Amino acid sequence: MKLSEITKVYGKGALEVPVLHGIDLTIEDGEFVAIMGPSGSGKSTLMNIIGFLDYPTSGTFELNGEKIDSAKESALARLRNEHIGFVFQQFFMFPRDNAIKNVASPLIYAGVSKRERTERAKKMLGKVGLEDRMKHLPNQLSGGQKQRVAIARALVNNPTIILADEPTGALDSKTSEQIMKLFIQLNEEGKTVIIVTHEEEIAAYAKRIITLKDGLITHDRRVKP
Amino acid sequence: MNIWESFKIALSSIWNHKVRSILTMLGIIIGVAAVIIIVALGQGTRKQMTDELFSTDKNAIDIYYEYIPPEGEPETFWQEPELTSEDIQTLSKVPGVKAVIATNQGFGTMVRNDEQGEMQITGVGAEFFSAKNIQIVEGRAFYAADNDGLNRVVLIDTIARKKFFKETENPIGEIIDLNNNPYKVVGVYESPIPEQFRNKDTGEMLMPRSVISMMFGNREIEQLSVIASDPEKVSETGKLAAATLTEKKELEDGKYSTNSFEDYEKELNKMISLLTLLIGSIAGISLLVGGIGVMNIMLVSVTERTREIGLRKAIGATRKKILLQFLIEAITLTSLGGLLGIGLASIGTIIVSQVTPIAATVSPLIVLIGVSFSALIGIIFGILPANKASKLSPIDALRYE
Repeated sequence: MKLSEITKVYGKGALEVPVLHGIDLTIEDGEFVAIMGPSGSGKSTLMNIIGFLDYPTSGTFELNGEKIDSAKESALARLRNEHIGFVFQQFFMFPRDNAIKNVASPLIYAGVSKRERTERAKKMLGKVGLEDRMKHLPNQLSGGQKQRVAIARALVNNPTIILADEPTGALDSKTSEQIMKLFIQLNEEGKTVIIVTHEEEIAAYAKRIITLKDGLITHDRRVKP
Repeated sequence: MNIWESFKIALSSIWNHKVRSILTMLGIIIGVAAVIIIVALGQGTRKQMTDELFSTDKNAIDIYYEYIPPEGEPETFWQEPELTSEDIQTLSKVPGVKAVIATNQGFGTMVRNDEQGEMQITGVGAEFFSAKNIQIVEGRAFYAADNDGLNRVVLIDTIARKKFFKETENPIGEIIDLNNNPYKVVGVYESPIPEQFRNKDTGEMLMPRSVISMMFGNREIEQLSVIASDPEKVSETGKLAAATLTEKKELEDGKYSTNSFEDYEKELNKMISLLTLLIGSIAGISLLVGGIGVMNIMLVSVTERTREIGLRKAIGATRKKILLQFLIEAITLTSLGGLLGIGLASIGTIIVSQVTPIAATVSPLIVLIGVSFSALIGIIFGILPANKASKLSPIDALRYE
């Protein structure tokens, strides 16, 4: 994906708050990127734009060489569904659905039949090591297990990009390590992994670290081959 | 995602909040049940009353005497003018009159063998049978000569035949005892009165009206009605006949009038319509309030489920799909309320039918209208909350605490 001169301004008129001042960023398929920066640096806004949850005020955004017409809400929803798998700090589960149903949920919006949804969800739960927790409800799972379910859900649509917002923010260090190893494994299998974090140790798992400050990229380091 | 998926999500959401859902549906349940019970009762009452009123021929119209006291004078004792067979002749010549029915009434104790029963006796002329289309089951109808010759003959109806005669017995020509006087049975007829209004214990009988007059001491013609040849002009024909009779009798302190069933029916329909409208509007208000309740709860639900909506959007739900999901949830809620209302109404009408003589039934059409209407309420009052849900920005929704 290629971002050129992306800006984002919230509010209007006298209340305008510029958050991104012109981001130029290219992320190739299969990269493992960590986006860092203090709070208020604009890293969350950048993640939202990359994840099609939000659209830039100006600038161009190309995905696989195609320019994104970012104004259309339904088009953004489809892009999210097809290309992005989200992992959030607070996990975000459907509390009354079991692990299988939670993992299968994006497939409902992709128009996949119920049988295939269940099959694919089971496969993904197997991939994250939760074969024995398939019928459990979110409140019967530990934080680490919930995050694994969330990762399985992010993977179920077979997206090209996994976008994780502070994925280990609510986990202890041992569990964090297991989750990060899962991300490394996914990256090795060819997925583009983008992690937004403010923790150095987490960023250290990535191959490329981008640092933001006051809405601009200040560092862009490739730390691993 | 298809409608069925949305429906399943809606159902589970309703199920997850059982108490709240039932309370929300209450307005719809009561509204729909009220509407259905009222309509069922209205139809039942109308049927009951028309059956009762029109147990006789619909083409027939009664002519009765109406006393008008002279101007400025107090109402004094008055007597109805005597009617004669000459008057019947006059009436039958009125244009549009197909037949004239003149009757009187008697009441007596009939005895035969060991059986005994109180009998309602109608005194009729020969014209009665064709005019009323009376079915003769056995024997014959009256001849004109039976009336003119004061023949002591009777026709009994099928109920009386069953009570006083054996199946194998031939009643024709048999002599029966009525108030200690002998009469000869000449025929058996099927009563034209609807079954529920008949005397089921002893039945009824017909006698020449001249014989009733002679034996019971009352007038030969007590009731007069005309049958119109055109069923559409019953009322007009009756009025014309009444006016002709008034003129012919040269009445000074009274006149003949008609009381048409048509007028009764109009009055009755007006009354029932008014009642239906009144209670219908109360039910309508209940449905409106119910609808607002649904909207209110849906708005609360949208706020409560902000993060769920955000998550659904993040995993690819479009605005349209979120809108559809919440709209279907509202429709499911109100339709379910409608169905429960229909169930309640069915129980209500069964109870009403058993404790009152009104045969109230819930018609399938009403059920269909009830469900469609409650679904419509779901659409009307669900669109606002659904729209609110669909417009939530995924980022704000996910950040919502």
